[in-house]
Amino acid sequence: MTVFNPPTSSDPHGKEVFIRCRNVSKSYRKGKTIVTPLEALDLDVGRGEFLALMGPSGSGKTTLLNLIAGIDSPTTGELWVDKQNLASLKRGQLTAWRAKHCGYIFQLYHLVPILTAFENVELPLLLDRSLSRKERHSKVAAALDLVGLANRADHRPTELSGGQEQRVAIARAIVTNPGLLVADEPTGDLDRKSATQVLDLLREFSSEYRKTIVMVTHDAVAANAAQRTLHLEKGQLVEQVQITTSEPTEV
Amino acid sequence: MKWLALPGISLKQITRHRFRSALTVAGVATGMFLYTAVQTMQHSLAAVTQSGADDNTLIVYRENRFCPTTSRLPEHYLLDIQRIEGVSEVIPIQVAVNNCGASLDVITFRGVPPESLAEYNPALTVAEGSFEQWRGRTDGALVGENFARRRGLSPGDTFEAVGVRVYVAGIVHSPLTQDNNVAYVHLSFLQQSSRVGLGVVTQFNVRVDNPELLHSVARRIDELFASDAAPTNTRPEKAFFAQTARDLIEMIAFTRWLGLGAVLAVLGLVANALLLAARGRIKEGAILQTLGFPRIAVGLIMIWEGAILGLLGGMAGCLSAVCFFRFKSFTLGNEGLTLALVPNWNVTVSGLVLAITLGLIASVWPAIVASTKPVVSSLRQG
Ligand SMILES: Nc1ncnc2c1ncn2[C@@H]1O[C@H](COP(=O)(O)OP(=O)(O)O)[C@@H](O)[C@H]1O
Ligand SMILES: [Mg+2]
Repeated sequence: MTVFNPPTSSDPHGKEVFIRCRNVSKSYRKGKTIVTPLEALDLDVGRGEFLALMGPSGSGKTTLLNLIAGIDSPTTGELWVDKQNLASLKRGQLTAWRAKHCGYIFQLYHLVPILTAFENVELPLLLDRSLSRKERHSKVAAALDLVGLANRADHRPTELSGGQEQRVAIARAIVTNPGLLVADEPTGDLDRKSATQVLDLLREFSSEYRKTIVMVTHDAVAANAAQRTLHLEKGQLVEQVQITTSEPTEV
Repeated sequence: MKWLALPGISLKQITRHRFRSALTVAGVATGMFLYTAVQTMQHSLAAVTQSGADDNTLIVYRENRFCPTTSRLPEHYLLDIQRIEGVSEVIPIQVAVNNCGASLDVITFRGVPPESLAEYNPALTVAEGSFEQWRGRTDGALVGENFARRRGLSPGDTFEAVGVRVYVAGIVHSPLTQDNNVAYVHLSFLQQSSRVGLGVVTQFNVRVDNPELLHSVARRIDELFASDAAPTNTRPEKAFFAQTARDLIEMIAFTRWLGLGAVLAVLGLVANALLLAARGRIKEGAILQTLGFPRIAVGLIMIWEGAILGLLGGMAGCLSAVCFFRFKSFTLGNEGLTLALVPNWNVTVSGLVLAITLGLIASVWPAIVASTKPVVSSLRQG
């Protein structure tokens, strides 16, 4: 596999902070009222960490994911991803940043319906002017191979099962070799077997290629695939496991 | 950003929404066909009515007459006109037509002295048959190539029209489109068989040495015959056409509005198709932006789509108009004058450019719609 470079072994797992949110708030105007799904939120995610985010619906999980992925900007606060303060970037700069550093995986796959699996995976590579056609094609082939769909390259999304579509979407998210993957309920629409394939892939990216992964899920089984699970409640993060061991809490 | 990848994506949008694209292209093609047809008419008319700096031909007609059946001039004026200074060639012509009003299918005979035709009209070339045979046969006709094609005539045929029966001695081609729509016959033959009588002609065509002399020679001719029983009105050929074929010109002027309507229809059609596409593709645009495509790229995909639809529809419409006029050889006639509708590459190319431009203009608003929707809320939509 030539496409993905595993990080150096001197990089101790989980120690180096890759995502850092400080005092991050996000408000939306909804008619006359202002909704604030995230309020003064702090979060650290280590490089190569696989983090699961859980929480009731409407708790702001997607909002947080969008901020981390740079498709939305925090109303206040600082948001660092790999030494880049996203809060300081303008929209055009954020777009360019996303192209290089972040892969987004959606619950409903969101493949472009008129394009084949191959063409969908190729899309983000079209943004890189330095790649030749040949290089692009070998990267696409490698990514499809990695998700086990090399033989489906010419199929349109409508000719694929949900699980296959999601694996194509994953190939599209990793084909540019970004350091960060975000996934919004990636198994939410899949049967158990397809879900397991998807989770295995994500785990592999985290452990073998040291991708930092933030995954929103409703499914405890899916969350188990991650190294750490956080709960989002009323705009705040609650760490489920460590909450009882490291810090005293109100009952 | 590989900007050249964008037209490729647009092309896939077009080819993989085949039904929708085919409908749009067919609509654009229809509009551009109409537009090209109108422009061809305008252009053909302009070519015979707009005077140019090197025009050197005058038409001598009977004063206050507008139809060849009523313009009667004595043939002997020929000698007087020839003597005027500045005149290089004169040819007396008897014109016989089947229809003086505006018509799509006029048959025009031009009776000329057989010995003067080649001299007066050196650009006329015989494509089939022979000039000698025409000179040798009293009832011989040299048929213009468009006329021959419309009627399916070839050398050796005989045909009858306007009460005159002639023998096709040759098919002629001329760079002057008028010549391609008439049949040249012997003057005396036509005078006799159309019963206008020997010695009477419809008009004289006069060529002057120097284009600058055009108006002064015209004045001299009219002065010469002013007090004669058959006074004349002499005008440059193009002015003559413009004043005589008035019905035709008004009709063609009106078609401008059809052309404008066709253009607006194309604009509306493409804009509507792309706007629907843009609305249906809000999420696709948001996904592309999530992947890192700049907004402008999402808009440009739409713009390229408009241009490609314009190009495809324009090619289909403009080229089929060219073929239509080339193979149908339409001739509009009025008062004995014929206007051949000749396809013209300038008109075709400008039609094509216009079609692409319309596609581009029509895609601007859809491009704005597609590229300015906020990504986050577009992704949230069902
Ligand atoms: N673009 C937006 N405009 C207005 N309100 C929004 C927008 N995005 C999210 N919200 C609101 O923010 C809250 C959190 O939404 P979301 O992050 O989607 O929650 P979750 O993903 O946890 O279900 C909801 O109340 C939602 O209505
Ligand atoms: Mg959500």
